[in-house]
Amino acid sequence: MTDVSDARPHRAGETPTLAIRDLVVEFPKRHESVRVVDRISLDVWPCEIVGIIGESGSGKTVTALSALRMLPKRSRIFGSIALGGRPLLDLDDRSMRQLRGDRLAFIPQDAMRALNPTLRVGMQVGEPLTLHKHTPWRRALDKATDLLGSVGIREPQTRMRQYPHEFSGGMQQRAMIAMGLALEPELLIADEPTTALDVTVQAQVLRLLKAIRDDKNTAILFITHDLGVVAELCDWVYVMHRGRIVEDGSIRRIFTAPRDDYTRMLLAATPSLSHAANVPPSLAAEVHT
Amino acid sequence: MTAGLNWPRYRLVFLGGALVTLVLLAAIFANWVAPYSPLDLDVVQMLQGPSHDHWLGTDELGRDVLSRAIFAARVSMEVAFVAVSVGLVGGTLVGLVAAYFGGWADLVLMRAMEVLFSFPAILLAVVLMASLGTNVLNAMIAIGIVFIPGFSRLARASTQAVLRQSYVEAARTIGMSDARIIFREILPNIVSTLIVEAAVAFAYAVLLESALSFLGLGAQPPDPSWGNMLNTGRGFLAQAPWLSLVPGMAMFLCVLGFNLLGDGLRDIFDPHLRD
Amino acid sequence: MIKLLVTRISAFALTLVAASLILFVTITVLPGSAAKAALGIDATAQAIARFNSQHGLDRPLAVQYGEWLGRVLHGDFGTSFQNGVSVGPELLKRLPVTLELAILAFLLANVIAIPLGAYAALRHQKGGDRSVTFLATILGAVPNFWLATLLVLILTLTFRWLPPSGFTPLRVNPILNLKQMVMPTLSLGLVSSALLIRIMRAAMIEVLSSDYIRTAYAKGAGERLVLSRHAFRNAFIPYLNVAAVEFGFLFGSVVVIEDIFLLPGIGSFVLVGIINRDYPVLLGASLVITVFVLIVNLIVDLVAGLLDPRQVKGGRA
Repeated sequence: MTDVSDARPHRAGETPTLAIRDLVVEFPKRHESVRVVDRISLDVWPCEIVGIIGESGSGKTVTALSALRMLPKRSRIFGSIALGGRPLLDLDDRSMRQLRGDRLAFIPQDAMRALNPTLRVGMQVGEPLTLHKHTPWRRALDKATDLLGSVGIREPQTRMRQYPHEFSGGMQQRAMIAMGLALEPELLIADEPTTALDVTVQAQVLRLLKAIRDDKNTAILFITHDLGVVAELCDWVYVMHRGRIVEDGSIRRIFTAPRDDYTRMLLAATPSLSHAANVPPSLAAEVHT
Repeated sequence: MTAGLNWPRYRLVFLGGALVTLVLLAAIFANWVAPYSPLDLDVVQMLQGPSHDHWLGTDELGRDVLSRAIFAARVSMEVAFVAVSVGLVGGTLVGLVAAYFGGWADLVLMRAMEVLFSFPAILLAVVLMASLGTNVLNAMIAIGIVFIPGFSRLARASTQAVLRQSYVEAARTIGMSDARIIFREILPNIVSTLIVEAAVAFAYAVLLESALSFLGLGAQPPDPSWGNMLNTGRGFLAQAPWLSLVPGMAMFLCVLGFNLLGDGLRDIFDPHLRD
Repeated sequence: MIKLLVTRISAFALTLVAASLILFVTITVLPGSAAKAALGIDATAQAIARFNSQHGLDRPLAVQYGEWLGRVLHGDFGTSFQNGVSVGPELLKRLPVTLELAILAFLLANVIAIPLGAYAALRHQKGGDRSVTFLATILGAVPNFWLATLLVLILTLTFRWLPPSGFTPLRVNPILNLKQMVMPTLSLGLVSSALLIRIMRAAMIEVLSSDYIRTAYAKGAGERLVLSRHAFRNAFIPYLNVAAVEFGFLFGSVVVIEDIFLLPGIGSFVLVGIINRDYPVLLGASLVITVFVLIVNLIVDLVAGLLDPRQVKGGRA
């Protein structure tokens, strides 16, 4: 076995941005109930990009939605989820609502569907400000323009008066990210935000997310089925399979010395990684920061 | 979420099926089921309320209301059956041709259908009846024409969906004739959708026939139809409310039956439309 | 926006011309129509020929239609075969009655359908949803002319809450007018609400399950705001299109309902035309009904277009 250091940068005295402990999610179905997430625990530390990788149906999206407490009403959820020390599962609906879009934001897979087709983009991007800070609409819209500019949308003044269908796929995803950033959240939860995009656009969006982390110290929980993306972006990765976390580790360790059979299978099934010297060039610099 | 038997839903389909079966049996076996002839006058027993002899009472000429309602089911079913057939065959033909040949045929045919569709159904039926003349056969034709645009839209959309499938392309490349493709490849694949729609159209045909007869434009007295029974009953609303209640209830149960059946069939055949 | 307006209005004009042609042909040209109708079945061949030349019915169809259309555009609907009264002014007199009924009934249908349908969608697959769906199924199976009869039986004959049928102009006695409109409005509106409830429910269920509603919740919007700002407007676009079709159905049904309640509107004029076999009357009255249905369809189409920016700018869907 290769000797690879696998220590997570230690953060004495710090509270994790997101701490999930023994999370169980069940969906009742006729007579029995199906356990979609099975006793998982994970941490996201401030300023860290953490990946959850797994195939579809492995429970990663459900994990993300439980952190937002946006699962279907009939689901049952056990364990604890803390955002910056606040126990989310104990909050009443109103307090939880105040955190959503403010302290933690969600970036979905399909930006085109996630944007309301009948409302102008600027209004949708600025909306979190009016919801949480009682910002008057005019100032919220000004801020939305700045936000759109900051995520790399050119001519934001024009763009914000347009409707989602006038945006390209990449711009729609940038707009979603801008919306998520409106109130500088502690945590961005991104659920396969680049899956629907072209490879070149995908790379731009990943670079944007990394820049956000670097500039604003936002922690990011990044959910994907794409090992290449994980390698490109994440500091730490959890491998999820059938509702459980089978292993976690630094990118370097997971890629060079996977411990779980499922992880090995994932690696073997990703051609570009299995013969590209295991680690993309950008990774070498990234791992020990 | 997942597929599986949805019992409350299926109960309603069975209820619909039962109502429809009841009406159909009454219509087919009217001669045997009805206690009296629908035309037998009995001057001694005019406007009698429900009794042992006449379960649902008698009308202004002493005729047995139950028997008339049963025979009226026959008129309704005949009219609905022919009208829906006219609409189904005509509409399918138009829709198929429009979708299969596309281009100008499509444009012209579907524009024409749109114009027909823009008339309120009842008005179109009433005007057609006025021009064709008031009898049951013309009611069948008039209502059938009203249905053509609806069926043609559905047939066109389903045909277009089938045409996108690769097996039609395959049939074309091996040089199958248009007629063969239409009858062998397309028609069998759109027929279930059209049949489901026909069940719903049946309910609507019953409504339209009743409305026409109610206005005196459909079945002519003394032949009973729910519509003309209700129209007559209206004149005796205060003295003999059963004359209005019985045919109305019959219409209601019949329409309800076909609606429930149609909705249910749609759920079964078109699972993607289920909500 | 202007492009949308132009295409819709030209389509409207085209449909209108085609519809008027169909009405004209159906009512005047089909065998055994005008002459026999006016003169009786046993009219002599000479009498029929005289009648036809008198009314210009022996000329080519295209000429007749063109002339008729030209006169109609100037407000001249001809004179009644029956009593020689000019049809145009009579239509104008009757129009307000029908419009009042149709507007009241359509309002009622929507006032019932929008909240109930939205409520059912919010309670999807729960008790509230089932009750509303059940109600819609029942209402949808009631023939409106039977409901009219039932209402007379209950409200007028049994409880004597409402005056018997008849019509008093709104100007003359507004209270009595409205009282007389209650039953016709209920018969049309309740039945029409059935389909609209189901459409509103289906549209709302579809919208509520969409990703952008999840986005709105993820932003921290509360349920009320999500519904009013993000859901309603979007559900309204498909709803409006069906509502327009339902308005057509409702507006056609005035033929039956006005007859029952003795309302002197366009609908009962259609029947007068049929019973007297008076084709200028029938033609004029059915044309007016068709025109109004088409106008409402046009308006709804434009409003739905305004609500849906994808249609206005015609960009990618």
